[in-house]
Parts: sequence; C-alpha cells; structure tokens
Amino acid sequence: MSLLEIKKCSCGYENKTVISDVSFSVDKGEIVTLIGPNGCGKTTLIKTVSTLINNMSGEVLLDGKNVFSMKENERARCMALLLTDKGQGEGSTCFEVVSMGRYPYTGKFGLLSKEDKEICYEAMRLCDVSDLAERYFTQISDGQRQRILLARAIAQKPDLMILDEPTSFLDVKYKLEFLNILKELAKKTPFAVVASLHELDLAYQVSDKIVAIKDGRVDRIASPKEVFTGGYIDELFGITKGHFEEESLKIIL
Amino acid sequence: MKKNRTLSIYIVLLMAVILLLFLNICVGSVKVPFSEAIMSLVGKNKDTSFYDIVMLIRFPRAVGAIVLGGGLSLAGFALQSFFHNPIAGPYLLGISSGAKLTVALLFVFAANMVPSAAYGAKIICAFLGAFLAMGFVLLCSKKINNMAMLLVCGIMIGYICSAVTDFVVTFAKEADIVNLHNWTKGSLSGLTWMDDLVLSVIILVASFGLLALSKPLSAYAMGENYAKSVGVNIKRFRVMLVIISSLLAATVTAFAGPVSFVGIAVPHIVRGLTKSTKPIVLIPACFIGGGAFCLLCDFVARVILSPVELSISTVTAFFGAPVVIYILIQRRKRA
Repeated sequence: MSLLEIKKCSCGYENKTVISDVSFSVDKGEIVTLIGPNGCGKTTLIKTVSTLINNMSGEVLLDGKNVFSMKENERARCMALLLTDKGQGEGSTCFEVVSMGRYPYTGKFGLLSKEDKEICYEAMRLCDVSDLAERYFTQISDGQRQRILLARAIAQKPDLMILDEPTSFLDVKYKLEFLNILKELAKKTPFAVVASLHELDLAYQVSDKIVAIKDGRVDRIASPKEVFTGGYIDELFGITKGHFEEESLKIIL
Repeated sequence: MKKNRTLSIYIVLLMAVILLLFLNICVGSVKVPFSEAIMSLVGKNKDTSFYDIVMLIRFPRAVGAIVLGGGLSLAGFALQSFFHNPIAGPYLLGISSGAKLTVALLFVFAANMVPSAAYGAKIICAFLGAFLAMGFVLLCSKKINNMAMLLVCGIMIGYICSAVTDFVVTFAKEADIVNLHNWTKGSLSGLTWMDDLVLSVIILVASFGLLALSKPLSAYAMGENYAKSVGVNIKRFRVMLVIISSLLAATVTAFAGPVSFVGIAVPHIVRGLTKSTKPIVLIPACFIGGGAFCLLCDFVARVILSPVELSISTVTAFFGAPVVIYILIQRRKRA
C-alpha cells in the first residue's frame, strides 16, 4: 500500500467539475510533480488532496485512511501544505510563522516545548532563513516568505508534503536550493512530495514520477524520461509557436 | 526579554485599573476622601453617607465599567481576528446597533413586563439583535472580499438599525422611553450589584472561552487555508468566534447601551504596548486594558461637565476614533 492513494477522484467547485477521474499513488521518499497548462486543474487537485475543498467523487487515501474523515490534528501531523497564497501573518515574526508548523503537536494553549523550538530552528537552518527569525513576516521579500513557509512545512514533520508551485517566487539560486533541500529531505526523512511545477526543466530533474494533466484529466503518468520524449511536451501544452526541445530542456522560439 | 516586557505591561495595566478605580470612587459631585473610600470598601463606616455613595453607586458602577470595557475590547479583538481586519469592532460592524434595535423594540412593545422578566428578556433580545446583525455582516463578507467595503457594509447595517430604532422610539409613548433615551446613547449610570453579577458571569465565561481559542486564533492569523493545514477545525472555530464576539457585544449593549470604539482602540494600543501577536498574551491584556480605558472614559463622562453627565460613547469616541485614523495612516505608510 502506498502512502497516498488517489482513486478515481473527481474534483471541482460547487457544480462544476474541474478535473475528473484522477488515479495515482505516491510512496514515501518519492517526488511526484503535476505539470500541465494553466487552468488544467493542478491547483484544484492539490486543494482537494489537502482537503481545502471537498472531492466530488472517488477517494483520497492517506496511509489507507480517507483524508476527509480524518481528524484535523491527525491529518495535520501527516500532511503539510505550501500554497501560492503567501499567507497573512501580519505582526508575526518569521519564527512565529515557522512555529505554527508545530501546531498539531502542541498542547491546549499551543506553548512550544524546548524540543519544538529545536525542530523549528533546525527547519529554518535547512531553508537558510535562520537570520530572518526575528524579522516580521510581512516585511520580507516574496522569495524569503516562500522559504519561511517551507521551513514551517518541514517543522510540521509530515509524511506527505503538498506544494503548489513552490518555486514561483524564487530566484534561480533559491529555486535550485529549494528543490535540492526537498529532494534530499524527501529521501532521508523520508516523506512523499506532491508538487505542481511550472518550470519543466526543474520538474524533469527533481521528479520520480510526472503526472501530466490536460483539459481536466490525467493525460499521462510516467517517469520524467518517458514524459519528455517524442514532442509530448509540445502536445501537452499545445505549443504551436516555437518548440520545447526535450533533449536540452530548452524553449526554442 | 519579551517575557519581562509582557509582565511589566500587565503590572502597569493593573496599576492603572486600581488607580482609576479609586479615582472613580472618590471624585464626583460629592468628594469622598480616600480614607473614607477605604473604610467603605472594608465596611467600617456603614452609618455615613459616604458608605452609600461608594458601595451602592460608585463602586458597582466602576466594577461594571471594568468588566464591560474588558468585554468590549475582547469583542473587538475577536472580530479583528475573524475578519483579519485591525479596525473591525462591534460598533463599526453594526453589531452593537443590532442589539440596540432589539432592546429598543422590547422597551417599547413590552413596556409593561414585570421587571424581573424584563431583565432576562433584555439580555436575550440584545443577543438576538447582535446575532442578526452579525449574520448580515457575515452574509456581506461572503460576497465582498474587500475589507474596507465590509466595514462600509457594517456601518450601513448600523445606520439601518439606528434608523429603525429612532422610528420606533418616535412613535412610542413618552413614559415608556424615558429610560430608553439615556440607554441608547450609552451610559453606565445606575449599574447595581445585581447588574454587575449577571454581566460579569456572562462576560467572564465568554472571555475564558476566547482564551481557550487562543491556539487556533494564532494559527488563523496566517489565513484560513494555512490554519486548516496545521489542523484547525475551521468551521467549529469560526462558529465559536462568532458566538463569543456576539455574546460579548450583546451583553455590553444590554447593560450600557452601544459604546463605540473601545473594541478597536484598546486591542490596537495593547498590541503596540506588548509588541506581541500571541492571543494568549493579548487576550488578558486586552481585558485589563479595556477595563482601564472604560474607567477613564466613564470618569471623564461623569466629571468633566458635572453635574451633567456625558454619554460614555461621546467620550470613548473622542479617544477611540483618532486611534482608527492613526491605524489607517500607519497601514498606508507601510503599504
């Protein structure tokens, strides 16, 4: 049994199905990326798996348990989330934001134990944001915020990390560092990762498995090598002007 | 460092409450010497007129001011957390006015009720009105994402409620609305020990309820999705927060009439003083700070034009409204 199993899942908002009949599974230590054109349903799928919206049919099983019927606390210990929404957190310091990751572990009043604090500092060290600890979360750059939120997700010690376009605000150095940290931790800890990515070159490098989504359905699930062949990327994104060169992972105008 | 700061803020606020308490007891149309005030509090001068003034009029009124002020500022704190908006408060969102409307209706249409029944009915009516107004605000908030617009909606709801209240009052018999007239302007005069007991029980229960929510409150500050992802039961949390803030605002309104701006000014000042965002630190500090603020405002209301009393809302607005303007300017600067 895999850690995360999505079985014939359809999801969307109110009466509109955005993406239907999705099935795939993810094991611990495995990184699965979702790629596909804008509006294909990646974010909807991510929001469904992370229970922010309800599924319309099918099942999402985490460790064999339906994610929608798990207790909030139990689910939060298994699953951490990083969204494109950068959060509000006005007046909070970065350390306080990271320490929110310990929420499912702390007691009634949310007081941090020494161990909780250690875990937070360690997570911040991994994400190279230790020096931001006392800065205000609203007064740092978008890229820094993204790394703070990753530290928060790491501090949550999940079995599954769900990331919606985690690298979109990062410069090239931090894109690489971000994905390196993720890859290393995912193997070492180990935890499973489901991420949507727009950068195809990065998706190729980091993924164990790629789920290609097109027009509200899963078009192909395969290893990066199999997905990036035979002009499939051009076809997936409907590229007509220009070309994605799969051997060099470059866009050719 | 931070702990020392928090502790010293608590001590300063508590000292302010005690100081203002004695100021309120001693100063007024009849001056009560400090020594007599102490004697009255310990019950050593029961046969003097000072005793009656202190124990039957000023002391219960001051205690009421502390608890009501604490309740109001917590209502504001809860609403600000709920809407992620630093200038949300029970008065600006129309919740106090909703409570005012239903209590006014009760005064006018059930004027002949037995006093003891009216007492309970007043609280229940205030709660219903607060809840209805809150419901409207929530409906609006579903359609509107813009925080400024939400406040405008709240203010409009407040105006509608006030208009209906005025309408009802215009057609009521003069005799029925003598009390009502004072009450709709907001006043702490005439609070008895019985009042204090009832309002303290409700407000303290609600306040401890809010304190028990301090953990999800701190997670909710990051936004709803993130709060959910770390394990907050958002639905239950929001329902609790709505009930607690309505209950606090309604209780205050039932006993003192609509009192403006305490709910915005006090949490803002307390945040600035403690430099903290932790609800577990802020909630008790807001309560004590609200008590001190209301004592001060009630003192001014009683003393400044003595023997004429100002309505407490006049004074709270005078001190509180500039804080709102200040918050808006600060936010503009930062953005």
